[in-house]
Amino acid sequence: MNLIKTLLAASFLWAGAVLADPPPGYPFVGYDAGLKAARASGKPIFLYFGRYGCAWCDHTNKQTFSDAALKKLYTENYELVYVDAESGKRLTLPSGERITEAELGVRLQAFATPLFVYLTPQGDKIVQIPGFKTVQDFRDYDRYVRGGHYKQKNLLEFLGGKS
Amino acid sequence: MRAAALLLAVLAWPAQAAWEWSAPLTVNSVRGAAVFPHLESANRRGVAVSGDTVAVVWEDNRAGSPQCYLAIKAAAAAAFQPETRLSQGECFEPVVVALGAGRFVAAWEEAGRVHVRALPGSKVLQLSDTEAAQITLAAMGDRIYAAWAEQAGRFRRIVVARLALEGDALSVKTRRPVEAKKPSDEQGWPALTAKGDGSVTVAWEDRRDHHTVPMVSHSRDGRHFARPARLTDRKSGSVDGLGAGTGAMRPTLAAWGENGIAAVWLDKRDFLSGYDVYAALDGGTRRFGKNIRVQDSFGDNMVQWHATVVGDAGGRLLALWDDARDGTPDVWLSDWDGKAFGDDVAVPAASGPGAQSDPVATLDAAGSLHVVWLDRDDTAGTRIRYARAERR
Repeated sequence: MNLIKTLLAASFLWAGAVLADPPPGYPFVGYDAGLKAARASGKPIFLYFGRYGCAWCDHTNKQTFSDAALKKLYTENYELVYVDAESGKRLTLPSGERITEAELGVRLQAFATPLFVYLTPQGDKIVQIPGFKTVQDFRDYDRYVRGGHYKQKNLLEFLGGKS
Repeated sequence: MRAAALLLAVLAWPAQAAWEWSAPLTVNSVRGAAVFPHLESANRRGVAVSGDTVAVVWEDNRAGSPQCYLAIKAAAAAAFQPETRLSQGECFEPVVVALGAGRFVAAWEEAGRVHVRALPGSKVLQLSDTEAAQITLAAMGDRIYAAWAEQAGRFRRIVVARLALEGDALSVKTRRPVEAKKPSDEQGWPALTAKGDGSVTVAWEDRRDHHTVPMVSHSRDGRHFARPARLTDRKSGSVDGLGAGTGAMRPTLAAWGENGIAAVWLDKRDFLSGYDVYAALDGGTRRFGKNIRVQDSFGDNMVQWHATVVGDAGGRLLALWDDARDGTPDVWLSDWDGKAFGDDVAVPAASGPGAQSDPVATLDAAGSLHVVWLDRDDTAGTRIRYARAERR
């Protein structure tokens, strides 16, 4: 009985912590859990920096992340991390520094949401991309990141000036 | 080109000349590439002046885990005394306010509960029995108030307590949630002001409208709070069925003039240029007026961070924040001139090459401005810096 109470309490606390709007059905986790999983799996991290109530995040979720093939591509090949741009929830950077999720926005100089950040499995930034993007955009970014092209070219060079 | 630069310098001179600054001092004695000091706190109350003593609080991880520290100096002293540790367990977001005659009250989150202590002297008092964080303080005469965010079911809500200090003993006289009902969504980051008549005003971030809205409530006795009102004059609502509204966060409050209260917060109503600094003023009616954009046009298209407001009974009022309009983060301030916030002025020692950010500030009884900020250096370690300014 005590175990059930503990689990219920933990689930309520977790529900309280998950405040913002990741796309439904995706296995997004918090920053620390995602970094830990990436170090174990060797997969790159796809970090969705969103804001609670953000219209463009909502638009991206409905128009883009609703695509079943994109969901499969990103779920299978990335550790998915969601960060709330205004949250006081704490995370630990690869340097060991503990900051709030909102402060991560300061470090990224995030001026708009959604902001999408691709990270190596060690948590080093590969590229960050602000604003609404299409399914094809995310397919292109996936080729850029998992193909290792970021080691030779910046994103604009890779896309040939397309985006 | 030189003529244009000269013209800009001449135009900027009156604003820069408003404050005369002391040479900056370093507050923290332990630095290193893997030591990360933070000045983050609810209402950004990280520095206070009591009598002729300056106190600064912060959190850093020098001990291997986040701990809270206090450093003090006599106003005329050329250096801060070595810091003392306030906490035993993991500690975050400490605040400090002045009681007068060289005494202070500090508060912080430790091991998931909020704590308070009078300095020098008293024992630590734990204020919350359940999960709580983001504590802030306000003091006026012998009246001390604390506000924090406390778990109440699924979400946190704002609780306000009146504290009593008798000798060295702190105790809780009253402790009330601003709203009796359980919160329907998250509340946090409270800001407080207290008046000599026993009234208290509390502002906080609130997500009941499914996006982050700064809200405010006033109490004449610190126990019974008025129905919360929005600080922002932007309405909630979706756009073409999308989202719930623009974001606004981290409200700060300051008592100002005879009976005024000023609020300053970060506001994303212009969603393409990041957060801007906005303010609202209450001249004494306990109703905040229309929203005022604080930063000047040179801060347009630039994201502002870590905004705070300070005021005093003499009517001085100013806002501080950091932004990178000149290429790297600098600390900026803007004075209220009675009608509008003036031109943005870079704090001299907190601007230029490198990253200077996260200001906390206070005005002392004589109207001097005390500012503390982070001066980031990834190799040598981050310094906590302090400077004092006198109005010319």
